[in-house]
Amino acid sequence: MNETILHDKKIIDVVKYRWVWFGLSLLLIVPGLVAMAYSVIKYPTHFPVKVGIDFTGGTITQYTVPDNVSNNEMGKIRTNLEKAGIENPVIQVLKSNNAISKANDKKNNIGAIISIKTAFQSNDKQSEQKIATVIKQDYPEAELVQVSSIGPTLGSELFKNSMFALILAFVGIVAYLTIRFQLDYAVIAMLSLAHDALFVLGVFSILGILFDVHIDALFITAVLTVIGFSNHDTIVVFDRIRENCRFLAKKASFPEIVNASVNQTLARSINTSLTTLITLIALYLFGGETTKEFVFAMIVGIAIGTYSSIFFASTLLDWWREKQDKASKSGGVSKPREGAVA
Amino acid sequence: MKNKKIMFWAIMLLVIAAVIVILHKPTKLGLDLVGGSRLILEAQTTETIAKITPEMMDSLQYAIENRVNALGVAETNVQQIGEKRLMIEIPSIKDPAKAKEFLGETAELEFKKESQGFNGVTSWVSTGLTGKDVSKALVSTSNNGQWVVSLEFKPEGAKKFGKLTQELVGKQMAIFFNGEMQSAPVIQEPILGGHAQISGGDSGFAYEEAKKMVDLINAGALPVPAKIIEESLVGPTLGADSIEKSKTAGIIGISLVMLFMLLYYRLPGLIADMALIIYSLVVFAIFKIVPVTLTLAGIAGFILSIGMAVDANILIFERTKEELRSGRTLFTAINAGFDRAFTSIFDSNMTTIITCVILYFLGTSIIKGFALTLVIGVLVSMFTAITVTKNFMHLMFGAGQLKHPGWFGLRQSDIGKAYEVQETKREKAKFGVLD
Repeated sequence: MNETILHDKKIIDVVKYRWVWFGLSLLLIVPGLVAMAYSVIKYPTHFPVKVGIDFTGGTITQYTVPDNVSNNEMGKIRTNLEKAGIENPVIQVLKSNNAISKANDKKNNIGAIISIKTAFQSNDKQSEQKIATVIKQDYPEAELVQVSSIGPTLGSELFKNSMFALILAFVGIVAYLTIRFQLDYAVIAMLSLAHDALFVLGVFSILGILFDVHIDALFITAVLTVIGFSNHDTIVVFDRIRENCRFLAKKASFPEIVNASVNQTLARSINTSLTTLITLIALYLFGGETTKEFVFAMIVGIAIGTYSSIFFASTLLDWWREKQDKASKSGGVSKPREGAVA
Repeated sequence: MKNKKIMFWAIMLLVIAAVIVILHKPTKLGLDLVGGSRLILEAQTTETIAKITPEMMDSLQYAIENRVNALGVAETNVQQIGEKRLMIEIPSIKDPAKAKEFLGETAELEFKKESQGFNGVTSWVSTGLTGKDVSKALVSTSNNGQWVVSLEFKPEGAKKFGKLTQELVGKQMAIFFNGEMQSAPVIQEPILGGHAQISGGDSGFAYEEAKKMVDLINAGALPVPAKIIEESLVGPTLGADSIEKSKTAGIIGISLVMLFMLLYYRLPGLIADMALIIYSLVVFAIFKIVPVTLTLAGIAGFILSIGMAVDANILIFERTKEELRSGRTLFTAINAGFDRAFTSIFDSNMTTIITCVILYFLGTSIIKGFALTLVIGVLVSMFTAITVTKNFMHLMFGAGQLKHPGWFGLRQSDIGKAYEVQETKREKAKFGVLD
């Protein structure tokens, strides 16, 4: 048998530098964890990330205006709203992808979207009218484009459901992998998914503190997609390890097999992530404002997912096998070094 | 080879069918794309109603449907979610604030009489005559030219009303709507004809007021009080803008991916691009057949599934290249490439399907849309990657040795350099290896 791949000098020795990867992973995740802890302590909602009205309840009213809105003007809108009797309005201005909307729709040009967040208003049409009056006064061309209003009980219910979905998805994936592979593959795949989910949450926690970014129901979808995608990557690598174990188990050690497998799947891992990132970046740059944060979460997640499946999951698997090996040797039971059997 | 040709024409037939479906069926677009209003009403328990029963929900839905229809907008949708909620979708609505007000009101019409309390305080008490006894309401004008609401009672109601007016001659009878007193005329004589009028008191009704009351009475009171717990409204301009932008983003994204595949994988890349076009057509046709209501999140799910469809092709090509490097013939390399890549494709897609199913059953409507488009995309991508790409590859390359490694983006010197795997007898038979 030709075992060039095992001794090829060009291949990346992922196993040898595993402490570098573990260190790098820590470096990527710890700042996010710190930010999450800070958020939990500091903010009244006590969530690791800033959560939007989807989870807390509230009303967001959005108007489009033809031109951009400066910070000064934003302040003015806030004072006017407060004067009109709206309590604690939060104003945000979303800039539009001008070039595109101008080219396609000269008449209804959207320069910016003014977004006003207030407490939940259910059948209270008064405050809706108050907001409309204040906005129309300064921006006669403003057009009401979006209202989302979510009751506080529904918000917390949504949050619970989302968390439940997230946990159930994890359990489902682990169960499937345990059946198709082995329990330790499944547990490590899950750790790698947790690694990715924590990183994405961390990034949004930091963004929340620095730029007041709030997460919504779509964000949970993004995290779930990232988990699915990263799992794709991890499975492809593990599948290769499993296959190589069948053919090479007698000739090569487990670390060698892991190295070979990672390198054999490297081109695929990078190309797949690249093509997905291309579509996502196109969505980010040219897509609608409302899905921007959603797309951004996926870009961050898919990038980290690719990293984790190449460097984190595979080396963790090798480290775990090595520890098990040592344990069984010191225990006097000689367990044959074997790969997973499909 | 004959089988391959039959397969090819079967695929072409599928493409034609997909194109016909796409051309003839309309796309169902979500409210966030066409603009419109979505409300979620929750039935509220009260002192008298301790539990919301399914029957109550059915009659609530019926009452709400009547009201929504009174708005005169096409393609509305009223649907029960869970045990005590109703979702109402009204596309392209002009005055959403008014609709909201209109739908949330209990609209209970009650006729009340005065009653002396034990300490001399008078209060209004129910007479048992309510909006349920009314068969029809109309806007009309009174003798002095004011807008009034004319009521026509059902036979049973007319009897009740007659008896009541007989009893109350010379006294006041008040008409309450939504708990608010509208007017309290003094009954001059018994009214037996089964007709009554509600005037707006001294100030009278504005036409809109009278019209709204008429619509609400005709649609029927809500059997249980309901509260709006979620509202989302999207204006038509923003919807159109979102469609435009998603289209642009989708086209740019797909074009770049296709270019990348062509440059990196050469001829197989071209095949993957063709498979991708077929994939998009089939998925889009399925969206129209099901029909899937396309929302922004749904479009995101679709674009993501394109990524996964391409992934299947990349996995296969990388594997095929490896097999070619080890010196296999084209036919066996392609077969082995597909076969070896299949477990990866299958396992990874299965986990995506698992997540999607969970999301579909637990998620909110936004998340549901995303999960549905993604799962359709993943299932179709398994089909196109395996069937379409493989068929095209075989037809294009045929059997024999690889004469032009450049077609695959390989160099002649690469061949024979890769590791070689041993295959079992079964695998040999499967890949078509001849010893």
